[in-house]
Amino acid sequence: MEGDSMPDARTSPTLRLQTTVGDFPAPSLSPSFKLDEGYSDETRSQAEKDQGADNVMMLPNWVLAQSEAGRAAGKRALPACRLRLPSYFVLADQSPPLTELAYSLLRSLRTSSIAAVVERLNPILHMDPVVKLPPELTWEIFSYLDPQTLLNCSLSSRAWRERILDSGLWRFLYINEGWRMDVRAIRAFEQEQSEPISPQSRKSRLRHNEPDIGEPKHKKRVPPTWLSSRSTEEQRVAGLNFSPAVADNEGDHYMTDDDQAAPSLASSNHTPPTPSLQFTPSLYPPLQSSLITRAPNGSVKVNWSHLYKQRRRLEKNWHQGRYTNFQLPDPSHPEEAHRECVYAIQFEGRWLVSGSRDKTVRVWNLDTKRLWHAPLIGHAKSVLCLQFDPSPEEDVIISGSSDKTVIVWKFSTGEKIHQITKAHADSVLNLKFDSRFLVTCSKDRTVKVWNRKELLPNDKDYPRICRGGGPTYPSHIIDLTDITPNMLEAGIANGQIKALQPYSLLMTVEGHGAAVNAMQIHGDEIVTASGDRMIKVWSIRNGACLKTLMGHEKGIACVEFDSRRIISGSNDNTVRIYDHVSGAEVACLRGHSNLVRTLQAGFGDRPGADETLREEAQAVENEFFAAQAAGESVDLGAREQRRTGHRVNTAGSRDPRDITALGAKIPPGGGGSSWARIVSGSYDETILIWHKDRDGRWTMAHQLRQADAVTNAARGNLSQVARTTVAAQAQQLQAAQVLMTLPQTGQNGGNNTAQAAPANQNNANANPAPPAGTLGQAPNPPPAHHHHHHVHARRQPLLPTPTARVFKLQFDARKIICASVDPRIVGWDFACDDEELIEACQFFQGL
Amino acid sequence: MSTGTITLTSSDEVDITLDRAVAERSVLIKNMLEDLGDSGEAIPIPNVNEAVLKKVIAWCEQHKNDPASANDDDDNRRKTTDIDEWDQKFMQVDQEMLFEIILAANYLDIKALLDVGCKTVANMIKGKSPEEIRKTFNIQNDFTPEEEDQIRRENEWAEDR
Repeated sequence: MEGDSMPDARTSPTLRLQTTVGDFPAPSLSPSFKLDEGYSDETRSQAEKDQGADNVMMLPNWVLAQSEAGRAAGKRALPACRLRLPSYFVLADQSPPLTELAYSLLRSLRTSSIAAVVERLNPILHMDPVVKLPPELTWEIFSYLDPQTLLNCSLSSRAWRERILDSGLWRFLYINEGWRMDVRAIRAFEQEQSEPISPQSRKSRLRHNEPDIGEPKHKKRVPPTWLSSRSTEEQRVAGLNFSPAVADNEGDHYMTDDDQAAPSLASSNHTPPTPSLQFTPSLYPPLQSSLITRAPNGSVKVNWSHLYKQRRRLEKNWHQGRYTNFQLPDPSHPEEAHRECVYAIQFEGRWLVSGSRDKTVRVWNLDTKRLWHAPLIGHAKSVLCLQFDPSPEEDVIISGSSDKTVIVWKFSTGEKIHQITKAHADSVLNLKFDSRFLVTCSKDRTVKVWNRKELLPNDKDYPRICRGGGPTYPSHIIDLTDITPNMLEAGIANGQIKALQPYSLLMTVEGHGAAVNAMQIHGDEIVTASGDRMIKVWSIRNGACLKTLMGHEKGIACVEFDSRRIISGSNDNTVRIYDHVSGAEVACLRGHSNLVRTLQAGFGDRPGADETLREEAQAVENEFFAAQAAGESVDLGAREQRRTGHRVNTAGSRDPRDITALGAKIPPGGGGSSWARIVSGSYDETILIWHKDRDGRWTMAHQLRQADAVTNAARGNLSQVARTTVAAQAQQLQAAQVLMTLPQTGQNGGNNTAQAAPANQNNANANPAPPAGTLGQAPNPPPAHHHHHHVHARRQPLLPTPTARVFKLQFDARKIICASVDPRIVGWDFACDDEELIEACQFFQGL
Repeated sequence: MSTGTITLTSSDEVDITLDRAVAERSVLIKNMLEDLGDSGEAIPIPNVNEAVLKKVIAWCEQHKNDPASANDDDDNRRKTTDIDEWDQKFMQVDQEMLFEIILAANYLDIKALLDVGCKTVANMIKGKSPEEIRKTFNIQNDFTPEEEDQIRRENEWAEDR
């Protein structure tokens, strides 16, 4: 095998060992040196090439014969010149005579000489896994390490760096952080980029989301790395004899103006932060990661080491409260705004739909920050709730109103398709739909389930009647237990049993003692939250109440459900987290000073989270019992006490003394990754961003205010001078409680209005002063006049009502958008105008 | 069904006889036996020499009664580098043997042994500076000081949270 083919070149004099040892530098024993247990005669070890030929002395053949005596005798020719040195150190059972000989030989030396020999042998005992193991196995090894360790390792050598900056490895790491990705968007992007197209158009495709391609102002991120990576790749691919200059034609013209031979050298002249990019050509992958990697055959993949990095940068912005603001409509188009407060919003992709007290539903384009089509008119009173699905299969908006009706609209046209006129006996407070059902809840204390598609009694989504209180069913619902399957089939066949038309009432669920304020569907379960302080879970199949959760001390305004935990916000000013399985309250978040009206939670569960959560929960309980057994003062306390607040639940402490409930399948705080985030909006006019601290306790990380966002969003478009003016105006306006106030802003922004919203960010960048920075660094501006409001609102009811009670918020990976008393919808964008981040964000999803 | 003994032949043509149940820790051998039936002939293991094969068999002996791993998509599980005591001792071998075990476990498709091997290497990497890693694995630093510096700066985003 390999060993047999070793060149016969190591012919040092037999006695050289003796004479040279003394010349070796001061010896040191490597701490990681280990004794062999087994023995190997495998010769494909890296040591061979590391070890100079002259380091090996020749031993007489009788010694070698000894060494192999007991083994595989005669099976293959021995490499006569090559002595496998490790055997000196092995107490190998196979060749005791040789080992003994070597040992005696060494023992005859001075200690320092022995150490020197050991030092020389080190290269044999220490070998590079990246050389020794194929990529799929180093991948396995690296998958046990955290990103920081891996990046550290990448400094070991070029080969290590190349193995570590493997896109697949970082995709795995990304998923393991509990982050989600838009697989569809990624696939579409890769396909689009992979199309075999001419270099010129490829370049414009690559940067299709950048408004002005010809301008050199994006210098910094014109991917010099991309270019150099391509040229590196080309160098690596034998036979593809591209000249670098040709490849470089794809770049901007300014990049090619001074050098043909070394394109990345040329680009380095224009790239401020890395003055010595000369080295980039030899670094593979290039120093600065880029979004895509292009295989020699032209196929493109997103580069996950780049995306991982961008996601980390994005999360850092969230943690540090760095953002820019925007508003709907763009400040230059105040005429597009709702006329009164906005109760409901939802966004998905580039679309946002809002519902307002002004009775309209509006569809916005988030790219332009403009109305997409004329307001949807149809409700006779306030639009309180809505949901939409822009996908071509659904293409629908459904809205609920104080006029007690529900309207179904066609999303793409704004056309009214259907109206459920007497949906409820009172205001429709919330609604949710999936592909099968629409569920509505109302101030009339009921929850109703409707079908979305024609429904026959033999369909699996047809309600199963549940006797014994709770749900009631309209007379057109057939009790399937009263009819044999044959009769049913016959009835359908002869037309006696007709299909239910879409949006027929399937059942009415009663059980709450007050208005049902919020609800959510998850799989076959409905979760509802009511003014009666209770959360209930129902079966969507038959309307049976599955469980009731208690804990809040006042009415509940909002609820979220992610299959593991139920999270609710209440008039008791708290946000609470419940274990879905046991119903135990696992955390209580205190921070708001008024009703918590809206919230969203992302726990960032990693793959396989159920098991992790159960283990964590068990560990906490074990500690509790251990503490109890040790006689410490741990005590669950009486439930009544806890409910009345004598026993205050914590925000997720795992200290046994803080445990108030046992049997949960999730640990205190609700578990999830360290990136977990809750955003809550309140009548105290603030939005709070909650993060978990190192111990898993929820802490208030940032406080956002609608009014500040409006001010910032307006300023983004304006010059420095105009900005001051607008700020002053904004304060005046708020003081005056004028809600519809944007004409002034429009005038001030006059010279900029032509460049509507998307230009917003570019303007900010082009500005000599760094507005993005100043905006971003003002997460908690002096709240003087807001406090003012608080005081007045509470003590002097004669003064105007608050201007920015938060009604609804939603967040995704990149932004929070919020609807409030103010007709302007505002947003916080944590991509912070960073081009690389914005580019990467198209593939990210929330937590 | 998995009774009796079978014989394996190592790359250096040494025959090793062992319990079939032990050998079937290797999915490769298990499938081979299932597909071809036990002809009684020695099964050649051309990629693994005697020393490594013996070591691998010793591991399989020790773990022959382990429950089959929950399922193979444990890539989805959070990875810990905890190794039980016996395996830790077992893995106290020279690096060449360690890597040979990993290669053999991969070839023979013994997932649990492969995992232990990879964890062992991962633990050798953890907490070390690049220089220490180079020493541990006898890696030649082929970066220029400038490059090293640039990479270090480029990696700063991953620091502190």
